[in-house]
Amino acid sequence: MTSRTRKAYRVQATEGPLVELLRRLGRWALEHVRGTGRAGIFLIYAVRGIVRRPGKFHSVLRHVHFIGTKSFFVIGFTAAFTGMVLGLQGYYTLSKFGSEGLLGAAVALSLIRELGPVLSALMVTGRAGSAICAEIGIMRIEEQIDALECMAIDPHAYLITPRLVASLVAVPLLTAFFDVVGIVGGYLVGVSLLGVNPGAYLDGMQRSVEWLDVYMGIVKSFLFAVLFVWICTYKGYYAGVDRGSFGPEDVGRATTDAVVVSSVAILVSDYVATSILL
Amino acid sequence: MAGTDARAIIEVRNLNSFYGQRQVLRDISFHVPAGKVTVIMGVSGCGKSTLLRHLIGLKPTGPGQIFVDGKDLAAFDSREMEAYRKRIGVLFQAGALFNSMTVQDNIAVPLRVHTRLAEPTISIMVRIKLHQVGLTRFGDYMPSQLSGGMRKRAGLARALAMDPEILFVDEPSSGLDPITAAGLDDLILELREAMGMTLIVVTHELESAFRIADQLIVLDQGRVLAAGPPESIRESRDERVVQFLSRRADERARDQEGYLAELLAAAGGRDRS
Repeated sequence: MTSRTRKAYRVQATEGPLVELLRRLGRWALEHVRGTGRAGIFLIYAVRGIVRRPGKFHSVLRHVHFIGTKSFFVIGFTAAFTGMVLGLQGYYTLSKFGSEGLLGAAVALSLIRELGPVLSALMVTGRAGSAICAEIGIMRIEEQIDALECMAIDPHAYLITPRLVASLVAVPLLTAFFDVVGIVGGYLVGVSLLGVNPGAYLDGMQRSVEWLDVYMGIVKSFLFAVLFVWICTYKGYYAGVDRGSFGPEDVGRATTDAVVVSSVAILVSDYVATSILL
Repeated sequence: MAGTDARAIIEVRNLNSFYGQRQVLRDISFHVPAGKVTVIMGVSGCGKSTLLRHLIGLKPTGPGQIFVDGKDLAAFDSREMEAYRKRIGVLFQAGALFNSMTVQDNIAVPLRVHTRLAEPTISIMVRIKLHQVGLTRFGDYMPSQLSGGMRKRAGLARALAMDPEILFVDEPSSGLDPITAAGLDDLILELREAMGMTLIVVTHELESAFRIADQLIVLDQGRVLAAGPPESIRESRDERVVQFLSRRADERARDQEGYLAELLAAAGGRDRS
């Protein structure tokens, strides 16, 4: 018996590496296609929840509080320093060409078009996204999601939809707040510290910022709002499901994944959105 | 709707179940009489929790069928599944309470979603359920502030919120001290007496199983080893049943050949790498 098994192994070893590589590649590809499909269906169910189960206002409000209000301080802080550093860098660059007057325009445009939406989305992902993912992941491993299903309650509509709606409300508002604080930060450094003419700062801003710029920022903030909630809730919802194990380490892994994937998705989609909108 | 006669409310026919390549249930058949306590018993890993997940529609049935009132569970559309789930209550192993809300809010969840009752009515119903499980004073507590046994009882109150016709209970006594566990058993018997509920209890505790069961189903390595009223199981001459009941089961001795094969496979695997 042993000689036969040995032989079998040897045969397998000769055709092994290439076949094994192909097999793994196939499995990897299939898993990703399936995962993408599942994530798409997941989002559709969450969106369907908006139509199917209107109301439940206080649930949305609770999540707006969590995603939005509680991120206020960290967003303001980040925005102030981003605006200040933009003022500093912009001033030294522009002064080389003797055009410090354009500082207001430079700060406002970079904030409204790019940094506002992207940085606020990244900050919200780090602060609220990880928590959302962990919360839903714990519900998964403690059978709370199963319990919802057994009570004939659609877990997508009950858990995901309110968070999606709340994010669509909170993230654009946070982005607007980020822009304003950032512009004020740039003003403080540029005008009060480095002595740029205040009229030039404000006038340059007013003349160069157009509706398209603001529009682009708003579209992006809605896009990022959906992306971050989608990825973070999805990762939590399916924590451990593929491995068939439901332990605390699965929640940890899901949370790390959620933050990394959301952040990358935000940056990649930012590029795509910019190239389409420009 | 729950009759007092012993008509079968759920019937399982030749059910097989897999996790990937691994088969966990083999050709399971039995029926659940209405208004009785059916206990599914077996050692850990025998597939009893998997069977429960099939019965409540959380795991799709593979080869084999489950009939609820004569209708195939696998053929249920989403509306029928919803209707079925409104008829059942499930107590999960650790209670599965929602951490973010108080005990009374937990119990109110199904009432708030499925009914249009006014808030005062809901709060009265919640209080009745809390009283039923002996947690009257703990409505305002968060689940994390409760002991394991209390969490289970709170989970039971939530499972009872919609007055289900069929109640599924997963391991009522696991992780509890004997006295608390016995209390939970009494509660289960009360439910059958007072409300004529059909109960399906999954457990590995022999004592508790014999105490509450009208019908016992003994699972072993994914197969039904024995089924019938507790007395007939107790008097069974079947070697494995006797072994199971006297807890002398030695998995390795019982499955020597499999063990040997496993060792060889492990050695072979090392050879290859």
